Amino acid sequence: MLSRVADSLYWMARYVERAEHTTRLLAVKLESMIEQSPEDADASWTRLLAALSGEEHLETTPDAFTFTKTLAFDRANPSSLVSSLRAARDNARQIREQLSTEVWEHLNRLYLRTQSATIDAIWVHQPALFFRDILEDLFTLGGVTYTTLRHGEGWHFLELGRAIERAQQVSRLLDIHFGVVAPGYAAPPPPPKYFDWLVLLKFCSAFEPYCKEYTAAIQPEKIAEFLLFDAEFPHSVRFSVDRIVEALGAVAPGAPPSRRVACGRLAGRLKAAVDFGQIDELTGGSIDTFLVNISRQCEQIHSAVFAAYIAYDAETVL
Amino acid sequence: MQQETLQGTDDDTRETPADVPPARPGRDTPYANYALGAAYDEMFVRDGTVRAHYAGLDTRLKTLAPEELTRRQQACEQSFLYQGITFTVYTDAQATERIIPTDLLPRIVTAAEWERVEAGLKQRITALNLFLRDIYSDGLVLKDGVVPRGMILGSKHYRREMRGVQVPHGAYVNVCGTDLVRREDGAFVVLEDNLRVPSGVSYMLANRDVVRRAFPNVFRSARVKSIEHYPQELLTTLKSLAPFHEDVSIAVLTPGVFNSAFFEHAFLARQMGVELVEGRDLLVNDNVVYARTTSGLKRIDVIYRRVDDDFVDPLIFREDSSLGVPGLFNAYRAGNVVIANALGTGVADDKAVYAYVPKLIRYYLSEEPILENVETYLCREEKSLSHVLANLDKLVVKAVGESGGYGMLVGPHASQKERDAFAQKLKADPENYIAQPTIQLSTAPTFVDGGVEARHVDLRPFILTAEETRIVPGGLTRVALKKGSLVVNSSQGGGSKDTWVLSQ
Repeated sequence: MLSRVADSLYWMARYVERAEHTTRLLAVKLESMIEQSPEDADASWTRLLAALSGEEHLETTPDAFTFTKTLAFDRANPSSLVSSLRAARDNARQIREQLSTEVWEHLNRLYLRTQSATIDAIWVHQPALFFRDILEDLFTLGGVTYTTLRHGEGWHFLELGRAIERAQQVSRLLDIHFGVVAPGYAAPPPPPKYFDWLVLLKFCSAFEPYCKEYTAAIQPEKIAEFLLFDAEFPHSVRFSVDRIVEALGAVAPGAPPSRRVACGRLAGRLKAAVDFGQIDELTGGSIDTFLVNISRQCEQIHSAVFAAYIAYDAETVL
Repeated sequence: MQQETLQGTDDDTRETPADVPPARPGRDTPYANYALGAAYDEMFVRDGTVRAHYAGLDTRLKTLAPEELTRRQQACEQSFLYQGITFTVYTDAQATERIIPTDLLPRIVTAAEWERVEAGLKQRITALNLFLRDIYSDGLVLKDGVVPRGMILGSKHYRREMRGVQVPHGAYVNVCGTDLVRREDGAFVVLEDNLRVPSGVSYMLANRDVVRRAFPNVFRSARVKSIEHYPQELLTTLKSLAPFHEDVSIAVLTPGVFNSAFFEHAFLARQMGVELVEGRDLLVNDNVVYARTTSGLKRIDVIYRRVDDDFVDPLIFREDSSLGVPGLFNAYRAGNVVIANALGTGVADDKAVYAYVPKLIRYYLSEEPILENVETYLCREEKSLSHVLANLDKLVVKAVGESGGYGMLVGPHASQKERDAFAQKLKADPENYIAQPTIQLSTAPTFVDGGVEARHVDLRPFILTAEETRIVPGGLTRVALKKGSLVVNSSQGGGSKDTWVLSQ
């Protein structure tokens, strides 16, 4: 597979995953804010913004309309929903010949649909419904991708991009909820409450699976354990890491061991961390460090893949 | 997905009554605004009766409600949008996807007409390839004084670097898109030979796809020849250029996603099942071309390039090109890779050389040209120059090395002042210009505002040549959607149509 093609597939999947994450967070947030007091809703919007755009210091707290507008429709915001879908579609267009007609047309229609949507138009109806619709479209895209593409090297690059993105997004979300409050706040936001933990589970499509495992007793520690270490839940960090390891074993089948070694070592180390991690060891501030480490190791894998398979020095293989 | 939208509501399977009364162009629905002018009309004879090969479409159009036609037209446009057969228009922060309009009504060509066109195109490409081989080797045609030496060697599209390069099967032009127009007398004549990187073939195939679904019954009963095998024919052509080994590795070289024909490049690569590459994917080592893959380097044998000569190799041609591959030309010279079309073919579709093609056919093949040229005055000839200067208000004057409507004077539409200014340029540099009469391109039925009107069309068939020449029966019909306009270019309000070549 051409290196450029692999790169575009990887990024296409990352952006689709990012779009899905943003969409789900917005849908859940808009649905749940009805139940919250204004202060709690503000704190929770602030966390959401921090999770999605890394913006942690706000002078003033905007209203739900402005938050939604920024996170979904702001073209100037590179992590907004429309920006993610546009980037996914741009990557897909460059490798159009590698995708099935179903995958391409589905993504393209989704792109066209979100490009023509506006905050004013969706706000007059139930805005959450719009995001639920988009989420359904994204699920269909996932299904179509799974079922119409060959599960060859290209598909493994898609999986790799998706898994790295998801592992990072979930770590970030956990960090926002469990981490120590960053210094610099004039008035630190209130810590998460019962309802916020529930919402966190919903942010990760995890409420029902969690209840099956731990019953409806909402305990932050159990939530962290589930979202970090559960081996079978598709949104847990451990699950994503397993997919990363799998995908890395399947990409670039003809590459010599010398070029594979760095990626393999990094992925193995990350796998060990989540396979053998214990939630009771992550008390106090140490969960912060742990989550930051996960995220950094994902970055390192990302860079190692790029160096090994995409932008390697051609002189070395002649 | 888009199949359902089109098929689900299609009532075309209903029996159509045979005794639908005739509808006259210019009088009756749906042809109330159909104007027959001086141009040859594809559907109607001058007295307003329908040509036999349009009878099936005529019956359908008369029985179909205008709203239904509109609906099918919209479904067709939506299908193009979803498929991404679009170009992007950037305004401010917004990027808008636009489609090149497709007209739903097919342009129909009879079997007999096509037979002649096909023979004429084969003859023409054979002569042009012989001409290219000649001017890049012995230059007999120049020694014999058939074509002025200065005109060829002085052309900016003549590539000195190509002298002595062995081109497989002597086929310099592997993909040609010849523009044909119909004169007022109904004869197809050649307007332009596009020998460099002609585009449009994906539209030919995409149009067929939507139009066949919009008129399934008319299509079936008309017995239209298939064009579906174009990608296969292209693949066969490209494969036969590389006899080195069994497992030929072929790539389509594109300038990238910002090129307006990118959809076509991706489409052809996908349909042929070959790699689509950009210049940055390739590298040359020891005169061998490789593509960078995740597993390592992969040798490339044949490159179907959709990049202009100038940008192919920055070491030899434009050094500021980032679209090409450094060292590609030397690999090509060394015979380690085949580039299709060969470099330097542009010299033969120069507008001045065009005027000599009938002579070239006689010179190389000892045959009379089957397809005529549009009458062309070479301003380099004194007699022609004075004729052109005296008739500037009736003629179209074109600079020889330009294309896409640049450096052109359309006499009948220009002001006296513009004509005077152009006359000065002509006198100063007559060798650089040719002139042609304004041609009334034929008109064909086109769906406009709920009715059917006459619009001017041309025809671009695609000719594939390696060891033999293949032409799929059809081509891209371009249509000037603006009333009365003779300009079919998509940049100036042109659209395209499906072209049906009948099998009998």
